[in-house]
Amino acid sequence: MSNVLANGTSALLAFQRAMSTVSHNVANVGTEGYSRQRVELEARAGSNYGYGYQGGGVQIVDVRRMADSLATSRLLDAGSELSRLQQLSTLSDRVDSLFSDKATGISAPWSGFFDAVSSLSSNAASTADRQNVLAQAKALASRFNQVDAQLDRLGDEVNSGLKASVAEVNRLTKEIAQLNAAIGSNVSRASGDLLDRRDRLIGELVGYTGGTAVQQDGGHINVFTAGGQPLVVGAAASQLATVSDPFQPERLQVALQTSSNSVTLSDATLGGKMGGLLEFRSTVLDPALAELGRVAVSLAQTFNEGHAAGMDQYGQMGAAFFSIDGPRVTAHPSNGDAVLEPAVGSLAALKGQSVLLRFDGSQWLASDPITGAALTVSGDGTTGNPLVVNGVELLLASGTPQANDRFLLQPTAGAAGTLKVAITDPSRIAAASPLVAAADVANTGSGIVAGLSVLDPADPGLHTATDIVFIDAGQYTVGGAGPFAYTPGQTISHNGWSLTLDGAPQAGDLFQVRAGAAGSSDNGNATRLANLDDARVLDGGTMTLNGAIGGLTTTVGSAARQAEYSAQAQQVIHDQALAARDSIAGVNLDEEAADLIRLQQAYQAASQIISTADNMFQSLLRAVAR
Amino acid sequence: MSTFRISSGMMYQQSVSTMLAKQAQIARTQQQLATGQRLVSAKDDPVAAGTAVQLDRTLAELAQFKLNSSTVENRLGLQENALASVGQAMARINELTVQANNGALGDDSRHAIATELRAIHDGLLDLANTSDGTGRYLFGGTADGSPPFSVGGGGVVYAGNQVQRRVEVAPDMFVSDTLPGSEVFLRLRTGDGRMDAHAGGGNQGTGLLMDFGVTDTTAWNGAGYRIEFTAADAYTVYDAGNNPVAGGTYTAGDSIAFAGVQVKIAGAPALGDTFEIGPSSTRDIFSTLDGLITALESDPVSDAGKAAMRNTLQSAMRDIATAQNRMIDARASGGAQLSAIEDAANLLEANTVTLSGTVSGLRDLDWAEAIGRYQMENTALQAAQTVFMQMQSLSLFKLMG
Repeated sequence: MSNVLANGTSALLAFQRAMSTVSHNVANVGTEGYSRQRVELEARAGSNYGYGYQGGGVQIVDVRRMADSLATSRLLDAGSELSRLQQLSTLSDRVDSLFSDKATGISAPWSGFFDAVSSLSSNAASTADRQNVLAQAKALASRFNQVDAQLDRLGDEVNSGLKASVAEVNRLTKEIAQLNAAIGSNVSRASGDLLDRRDRLIGELVGYTGGTAVQQDGGHINVFTAGGQPLVVGAAASQLATVSDPFQPERLQVALQTSSNSVTLSDATLGGKMGGLLEFRSTVLDPALAELGRVAVSLAQTFNEGHAAGMDQYGQMGAAFFSIDGPRVTAHPSNGDAVLEPAVGSLAALKGQSVLLRFDGSQWLASDPITGAALTVSGDGTTGNPLVVNGVELLLASGTPQANDRFLLQPTAGAAGTLKVAITDPSRIAAASPLVAAADVANTGSGIVAGLSVLDPADPGLHTATDIVFIDAGQYTVGGAGPFAYTPGQTISHNGWSLTLDGAPQAGDLFQVRAGAAGSSDNGNATRLANLDDARVLDGGTMTLNGAIGGLTTTVGSAARQAEYSAQAQQVIHDQALAARDSIAGVNLDEEAADLIRLQQAYQAASQIISTADNMFQSLLRAVAR
Repeated sequence: MSTFRISSGMMYQQSVSTMLAKQAQIARTQQQLATGQRLVSAKDDPVAAGTAVQLDRTLAELAQFKLNSSTVENRLGLQENALASVGQAMARINELTVQANNGALGDDSRHAIATELRAIHDGLLDLANTSDGTGRYLFGGTADGSPPFSVGGGGVVYAGNQVQRRVEVAPDMFVSDTLPGSEVFLRLRTGDGRMDAHAGGGNQGTGLLMDFGVTDTTAWNGAGYRIEFTAADAYTVYDAGNNPVAGGTYTAGDSIAFAGVQVKIAGAPALGDTFEIGPSSTRDIFSTLDGLITALESDPVSDAGKAAMRNTLQSAMRDIATAQNRMIDARASGGAQLSAIEDAANLLEANTVTLSGTVSGLRDLDWAEAIGRYQMENTALQAAQTVFMQMQSLSLFKLMG
């Protein structure tokens, strides 16, 4: 009888607990990272009454946390990769729309500027056209400045993203370390909810940093970055910090701080959101900045060269039309006193990517700062034999290089932000050819000047008034020199110019080459300038400036597309991992409802047993009382 | 694990993310429909976007070429008008010269002709200084900031230069801008363009220089010669070094031939009269007119004077004929440039149509496809929403109690 009561009581207690677990499950149906729990019941071993064993009711042996460490770790990997790719994709999209949108991209003002120059070539003396060229040039320069500033701002966002992430990571590592301490060395005795909480925090941490979580024998979980640096070991948490890049103080890097020193974490050793930020900076932002700068430098240099070959309305040779900063060299803080001075050497060879220059004690070595791949460098830095790498020439301006001196060369990054229109007076636009050729009106031959072109605008004798005199139809003198033999149609070159004659000159005929006068409406140079956007000046003379603008759009678009595709693919992988985890650990309400009904019925049955035991007891009492 | 469990959270999450994904698709299609562009940003099709950027530039360039052509066309049109007026003036000059050449004309009539010619001279000067309407002068070459022609130094002085601008009106297709004044009004060949002849200034007889020309181009060396009459019916030809090279008996109206040229002299030259023969030189239209006016106003009384005047009129008529031809050439060359502009415009038009089609294919939206897609996406979203509502209503808890 007491046996019946005891069994009933044990069942009541057990089912109450089990229902309480169901209610806990139902209550946490919306809790992220919650693993459902299940009560494990066991029959109490009975006592031997001689005739055999009589069972002793039911007891709870365990509240089991339904979790699978394999599924959890898969979800961890998928989640960190997803954070990385989403971060990369979001930021790449920003660059993409910056370049794609007509209102913010380079292509519209670029086209406007060259159209204005082309218009000037049809009306070279018109003040309105000249004003328009200046206005369009300013619009183009400021668009370059704006896009560069926007990209810089994205760089700042990467910095603040890193800072915020580091703060979060430091909070998370600390909490995980505390949980490790609380959970102790025996997982089986730990609360399932505590374990869930730890898994969730590790998921968040790895979402920032990437890396792996390793369960120690005891029950602690250690977290390492992809590069193997410890973030949490047992109850000890590491601290991350942001430090400035030694070459570019405005650019933050992530360092792991240990008791003695801090180790800078390279891009490759970080995954997650921080990895996405760093990867965006090195594979999308930096190349876009460098390429934008390369286009700006090429425009400035090509246009200035063309402009210098012309003559302005004051009769002066064209001054620099655009101004732009040259390549940037930054010395490592630990360097000696050596100073390198860079200048763009050849546009055809110019590449935008950064170069790390290192002096090994006897010679200079160049490498890619991100990948470490060796680059070709020639020369020794002395005048006459400058260091040449990626189209940039560097001179050792002062000091003596020490072994292991390092310099970061940024050929064009940031240059687009410094592009300015250097002239303000529309009359300073050098639209005219600097020379004027004429056949003397008294000439008896039919020769007229067909083509006069300036070969070398820097020739000191360019503006010298020169006469070409024909001694007879087959001989001429030029500037008093000669006579030279003349064959019809041949080119006559002198003092940096050349010309050809149409028709047949006769003895005594005179052709005059004079410096152009002020106020000329000549359009010779404007026509040349208007066609510079189609001149193949880049990439070894295979790429036009227009092509580079189109290429920039394609490069940026491809990066954004690739990042988006990867993020979408990773989303699917992540969803699968989540489904796999949830299929084990997730709460299903129907299942819980069914359990609830089952347990409720069992509870009711147990109650009936107690009631029966009571009846039995009452019957006995009544029998005794009589 | 025997059966695959599904958690309630997962079911909810999956339905929600399906709906979110469908909404994102709809938003994208809406953006495409609103902008009419298939490529919202370069990542939608990076290669097409890059190509479209370059094609846009080419299209803008073509549009600019069209504007450039109209600038040149405008100036060439003005040149055409000016040259047409110059041509009329030349025709009138020719008429007046023929009139003046009539021996029966009295001094007064010649004076009247001279007065009209003077007016035409001034009119020509104004035409030569035609402005293009923006303060630049059509016939000044590239030194067109001030009037290229001015009176001075006993004639008309040209201050322009001989540069003829070339303007790009289609890719690598250039047309020449207006002609420099020197090529229209100056540098006109005298005589027949190869040789020229004129009567000596101090001739006493009535010898008239009639036709002349080169008959044998190989024998004509372009040097200067002098026909001197040694008697009323005999002449000797001297070269530039005063060496006699030919001679003969003179009969009025007969041709004198030597050194590859033929010169016809009429009338009665006196002893010692000379006729100079030499290579053709150049003279501007204004000095030709000046010479003509001076001759007409010379009021000759003697026979010799009358003969000199007629000789001057004859040579002026030749020069004016040359100038008239030059005007015709100048108008023809302007017309050729105008027709080149028209060709260029056709080319631009054709290229623009082709390129616009290409750009449109790269970037523009296929409306029918997009609208169809939009409706399909809408239906799909509605279906997802319905499924979500139904699934959420299925719960065992609902049936309990």
